[in-house]
Amino acid sequence: MTAPRRLRKELVDLQESSLKSFRDIKADDDNLLRWTGLIVPDNPPYNKGAFRIEINFPAEYPFKPPKISFKTKIYHPNIDEKGQVCLPIISTENWKPATRTDQVVQALIALINDPEPEHPLRAELAEEFLKDKKKFVKNAEDYTRKHSEKRPAD
Amino acid sequence: MSGGGGEEHEARQTTTTATTTLPMPLPGVSSASTSSAAAAAAATAAGGGRATPEMKRSAVRSLIQRYFHQLQSGCGNAQCTNANCASSGKVAPMTPNEVAARALQLFSQDAQLCENATPTLPTAPTTSSPQQDVDMLSPNDSSSSSNSSSTTSTITSASTTTTTSTQSQSQVQEQNKRPAHLIDLPPVIIDATSAINPTPTIEAIEATAAAAATAEDADACTPTLPPVEFLDAASLEALYEQCRAAENYVRLYQAIGDVFASVERLSKSFICTPGQELKHLPPKPEANALNKEQLRQLEGEHDKDEDSTQRQEEEEEERTRQQATEAADVNEQRSGDTDGDTYGDERNDNVDDDDDDEDEPMGTSRNAEDIEEFLHKGTKVDFQGLRHVKRLLFSSPCQTIAEKLTSSVIQLADYIRYLRFYRQDLWEQVLHCLVICFDMVTNTTANNSVTDMEYVDRVLPKLCHAAAAMPVRAQARLAQIWGEYCPDQLQVLLSSCQQQITLQVLLDEESVRENEHIISVTKVLKIVYYANILASVLERPSCRLPLQEQEEQESAAAVPEESEDLFVYSSMQQPHMPKFAEDPLEKCLQVSVIDCRDPLVPLQEFYNEALSEHIQMHQDYLSYKTLAMESELGSSHTNYFCFMLYAFILTPATKVDALYYDCRMRMYSERYSSLYSILNNFGQDGQEGARPDLKLTVRRDQLINDALIGLELVAMSNPKDLKKQLVVEFVGEQGIDEGGVSKEFFQLIVEEIFNPAFGMFVQQEETNNMWFNATPFENGAQFTLIGIIIGLAIYNNVILAVNFPMVVYRKLMGYRGTYYDLSDWSPTLFKSLQDMLDYQGMDMEEVFEQTFKISYSNVFGEMVEHELVPHGSEVLVGQHNKRHFVNLYADFLLNVNIQQQFKAFCKGFEMVTDESPLKLLFRPEEIEKLVCGSREFDFVELEHSTEYEGGYTEETQIVQDFWSIVHAMPHESKRKLLEFTTGSARVPVGGLKCLRLLITRHGPDSDRLPTSHTCFNVLLLPEYSSKKKLEERLLKAINYSKGFGML
Repeated sequence: MTAPRRLRKELVDLQESSLKSFRDIKADDDNLLRWTGLIVPDNPPYNKGAFRIEINFPAEYPFKPPKISFKTKIYHPNIDEKGQVCLPIISTENWKPATRTDQVVQALIALINDPEPEHPLRAELAEEFLKDKKKFVKNAEDYTRKHSEKRPAD
Repeated sequence: MSGGGGEEHEARQTTTTATTTLPMPLPGVSSASTSSAAAAAAATAAGGGRATPEMKRSAVRSLIQRYFHQLQSGCGNAQCTNANCASSGKVAPMTPNEVAARALQLFSQDAQLCENATPTLPTAPTTSSPQQDVDMLSPNDSSSSSNSSSTTSTITSASTTTTTSTQSQSQVQEQNKRPAHLIDLPPVIIDATSAINPTPTIEAIEATAAAAATAEDADACTPTLPPVEFLDAASLEALYEQCRAAENYVRLYQAIGDVFASVERLSKSFICTPGQELKHLPPKPEANALNKEQLRQLEGEHDKDEDSTQRQEEEEEERTRQQATEAADVNEQRSGDTDGDTYGDERNDNVDDDDDDEDEPMGTSRNAEDIEEFLHKGTKVDFQGLRHVKRLLFSSPCQTIAEKLTSSVIQLADYIRYLRFYRQDLWEQVLHCLVICFDMVTNTTANNSVTDMEYVDRVLPKLCHAAAAMPVRAQARLAQIWGEYCPDQLQVLLSSCQQQITLQVLLDEESVRENEHIISVTKVLKIVYYANILASVLERPSCRLPLQEQEEQESAAAVPEESEDLFVYSSMQQPHMPKFAEDPLEKCLQVSVIDCRDPLVPLQEFYNEALSEHIQMHQDYLSYKTLAMESELGSSHTNYFCFMLYAFILTPATKVDALYYDCRMRMYSERYSSLYSILNNFGQDGQEGARPDLKLTVRRDQLINDALIGLELVAMSNPKDLKKQLVVEFVGEQGIDEGGVSKEFFQLIVEEIFNPAFGMFVQQEETNNMWFNATPFENGAQFTLIGIIIGLAIYNNVILAVNFPMVVYRKLMGYRGTYYDLSDWSPTLFKSLQDMLDYQGMDMEEVFEQTFKISYSNVFGEMVEHELVPHGSEVLVGQHNKRHFVNLYADFLLNVNIQQQFKAFCKGFEMVTDESPLKLLFRPEEIEKLVCGSREFDFVELEHSTEYEGGYTEETQIVQDFWSIVHAMPHESKRKLLEFTTGSARVPVGGLKCLRLLITRHGPDSDRLPTSHTCFNVLLLPEYSSKKKLEERLLKAINYSKGFGML
C-alpha cells in the first residue's frame, strides 16, 4: 500500500517516540491514510480512562490538513457527540504543511487536559464548565468511567 | 503683468537683429533669443572679475534690446521725460530697422534708460512670434549686422562671435547626426561655467544674482540674464528664493520659459545625480572627466578641420559648449542603451528564475527606489527634487509663476506633438521632458490648489496629445519609466485622465468617438494601463507559455488518440483575437495584462462610465470592421480610431454590446448565405438547403443525448452553422423560440451535465466549484458538447448557472493554469504551498519530507500517485527546487491531469466563438461574468429600470405592492422570481438594470397566476384585488415554474 513518504516516516517516528499519553498508534492495513491511536490524558476528570481516536489524512497531505475524530465517547466542551474535534492547528485557515502529526497530537492532548470553553463545540458543556465546574467534573468522571477504554498498565 | 507679452516681442526683435543668423525659430530657439544678461554687463562695469566674455556679450545684447523696446513701446510711464522713450512721446515714428539702428546708437552713447523699461514679463517665448519678427528683420539681417559693426566694436565682436558659434554649433550637431533644423539649437550664448562645472547652475545663477544685486544698487537697472541652459531642483529653488527676496520674479519667469519650453533644455534639467541621492555629496567627476577628456580630443580634431581660422578664444568657448552638448548626448544615449539592457536583463531574470527571489521584481523594490533609482537608469529625472520645487512654485503667492510654467509646458507639448520623425536619441530627450511634465500633473493633490487644477486642466490634454503622437517604442519607454519610478503616481494620473475624458464626453456627447481629446487621452491611458501592469508583481513563469517544452511535446504526442472524436474541427491559429487588433505597445513591452494577478491600480478603475455610455457601440464596431477589412486588404490606414482596441476603458456592459454586434453580424451573414443557397437550390432537386438558423429539436427526457446528436450532426456537416442563431424546440411543446425556449434549454442541459452524478464534472468540496473529472466515464464528445453549450450561451447572449473556477476561463482564452490559479481552485492547497515557498530554513528536506511524487484522490476517493518528474519519488523538495515543485504541482493539477477533457471542452467552445473577439475585449474575469453573470441581486436597481404597460404605472397600487413584496422576499425567492421572469437566475453583465423588465397588466382581478415571457423579460400580472392575493399568486407562480406553456 502506498502512502506519501512523509506519512510513513511520521508513523514510524511516532511509534518509536513511545509517548506516554498517545499510544497504540497504527495505520489501517489497507489504508495508510487512516491511523488510530489511544489518548491517555493526565488531568482530571479524564485521567481515569483512555480515548480511541482516528486520524484521517487527505491524499494531498501535507498540503491539506488531517482530520481527527474520537471513536470513544467523551464529555468535553470541544468535542461533539459525533466525536468531531475543533482543533485550531488543523483548521484549514491555520494549517501549515510543516506541522507534524506529533505536534497535532500534542495539541489535542493539551486540549483534552485543559478544555477551552471559549470556543466550544458543545455550548451546554462549556456553560457548565464555566458556571458549575464541580458538576462538570463529576459528570465528566462518570461519563469517562462509563464509556472510556481501559488505561494501559504502565 | 499686462502688456508684457507685447513688449517681449519687440525685445526679441532686437536680439534677432544683433545675432542675425538664427535659423527658423523653434520654441527652444525663440526662448534662447530672449535671453538677456544685464547683470553680467553690470558686473563688468563694476569690474567684476568673474564675468565671462559671454556674459558681457549677452549683457550687451540685452541692453540693446532694452533700448529697442524702449524706443518702440516706451516704458509705460505716462510722465516719462526720456527723449529716447516712446512713452514720452518724443520719439519720432521709425521702421523697426531704424529703431534697431537707433538702439545700437543709444547703447554706444550709454544713453538714459527708463527704469520701468524692462518688460515685466520679458520672456514668455511664443512660437507664434516669428512670422512678424522675421518679416521685419530677416531681409535686412546682414545690413543691420554690418550697421552694428560700424557702430561699435563691442557689438561687432558680439554679433560675429555668436554668428560663427551658431554655425559651428549646427555643424557640431550635424556631426552628431542629428537633423539640425529639427532640433532647437542651444542658446546663442552659453554660460561657460555651466558647461564645465558639474553643478553649474547654482553657481552661475548665484554669480549673476550677486552681480545683479550690485547692478541694482549701482544704476537701478533691472538685471537681465544669460539664457538658462538647464535647471535642477536646487538651482530653481535658489532662484525662486532670490526672486522672492527681491520681490521680482522676472528672472524666474525667464528661466522657466527658457527651460520648460524647450525639449533640448528641459531634457538636461532635473537630472538626478548620484551625489544628490547619497547625502548631497558633490558628484564624483572622474568618470565624467574621462569622457570629457576623450571628447575634448575628438572635438578638437573636428574643430581644427573645420574652424581653423577661428580665434583661440572662440575655440575654447566652442569646445566647452560642444562638450556640454556632447556630454549630454552621450549621457542620453548611454542611458538609452542601458535602459534597453536593463529591460532585457529584467526579462531574462524573470524567465530564468525559478527560485523564490522572483517575488520581488519591480513591485516590491519600490521601497528601495530612492537608493536604486539611478541604478535602474530608466530615467534620470530627479523626482524628489522636481516635486519639491513644483510644490514650492505652485504654492507661491505669485500665481504668475504657475501661469508661466503652464504656458511653457503647453508650448513644449505642442512642439512635441508635431515632431514627425523618429530618432531614438531625440525621443529619449522628449521622454525626459514628458516624464517631468506629467509628473508635475500628478503631483497636484498635495495642496490641490486652484493653480494646480488649472495646470492639470490646461496642460494635461496637451501633454496627452504629445505623448499619443509618439512612436510606439517611445510610448513603451514611457510606460516602463512610469511603472518603475512613479508607481505611486499612476492612480492620480489615471484619475486625472479619466476626469478629462469624462469632461470631454459631457461637453460633447454627440461625437464622442471623433473627439480628438478623448482619443489622445485614451491613448495615454493605455500607456498608464501598461505602466500599471509593469508596476505590479508579474507572474513568472508566465501563464502564456507552456511550463516545459517536454510537456508540450507530450501533448502533441497525445493528439492521435483523438482521431475517433465525433466532432471535427480544425482549430484556428489564434482564436478570439483578430490579428490586426494586436496591441503594438503590448508587443513592444512584452508584458500582458494576464501576467498580472493583482494590479497596483485595480483594472476596473480604467473603465470610463461616461465614455462607455455615450460611445454608440455600433459605430465603433463599424470602425473596428473597417480596420479589420483594411488589414485584410493590406492597406494600413490608421485614420480610424476604434475604442474596441482600447477595451480597458470600456465597461463590460459596453463590451457586451460590441460582442453582441459581432455575433449578430456573423449570425446574419451565415443566415443570408443560407437564404441565398435556399433560393439557389429552389426548384432544383428536392434537397433542402441549409437552414437560416441552428435548430435543435430535443426531448426533455433525452436532453443530453438529443443535444449531443443534434450538435454532432451540425458540427460534422457544417460547423459554421453553429454560428447561426440557436432555435430550440422541445418535442411536443408549444412555444416559439424567440430566446426564451433556448434559455430554458441551456438551463436544463447545464443542470444535467454539471450534476456530479453525471460524472463529467466533480464538485470541489472546499469551493463548490465544478472541475473536470480526470477519470471520466464518457468520451471527449460530451466535453466538447458542454464547450459548445458555453460558447453558444455567450454567442446567443444567455447566462448560465455554471460554477467554474476562474482558471477555466483563463484556459479558455488560451493560457495555462499556474500556481496562482490554485488560490481559487483550492485555497487550502494554495496556502500550504505558499507556506512551503515561504519556508526559509535549510532543513527543508527533513521538515517537509516531500518528494516530487504527489498524490491526490480520484472521484472514487481512492488515492492516486503521480511523479512530477521522472523518478520523482527519489527527489526531495528543498530550497533550491521548491519553486519548481510548486509550479509542476499546479501544472499537473490544472493542466496535465485534465488535458484530454479540457482539450475537448475548449474545442467545443472555440467551434462557436473562435472568430469572436473575446480575447480582445475581455479579461478572463470578465468572460466569467459574461457566462454566469454577477452573483448578487440588486432588486432596487431592477425596480428603477422596470417599465410598465397595459395601464400600469409605477404609481399603480398593485405595482407598489408588488415591489414591497419582492423587496421583502428571501434571496432564494428572488432568484426564483428572476428565473421565472427572465428564464435565468443569474444577473446579466451590467446588473439587473440591464434586464429591462416589463410589467404588463394582464386583465382585471382573476384567479389566474402571473405569467411571463422569458424571452422578452415580460411579467404579466393580473390586477389582483389585494396585496395578499398578489403575494399568494406570485409565490405560487414562481415555485411551480418549470416548463413552458400556460398554467
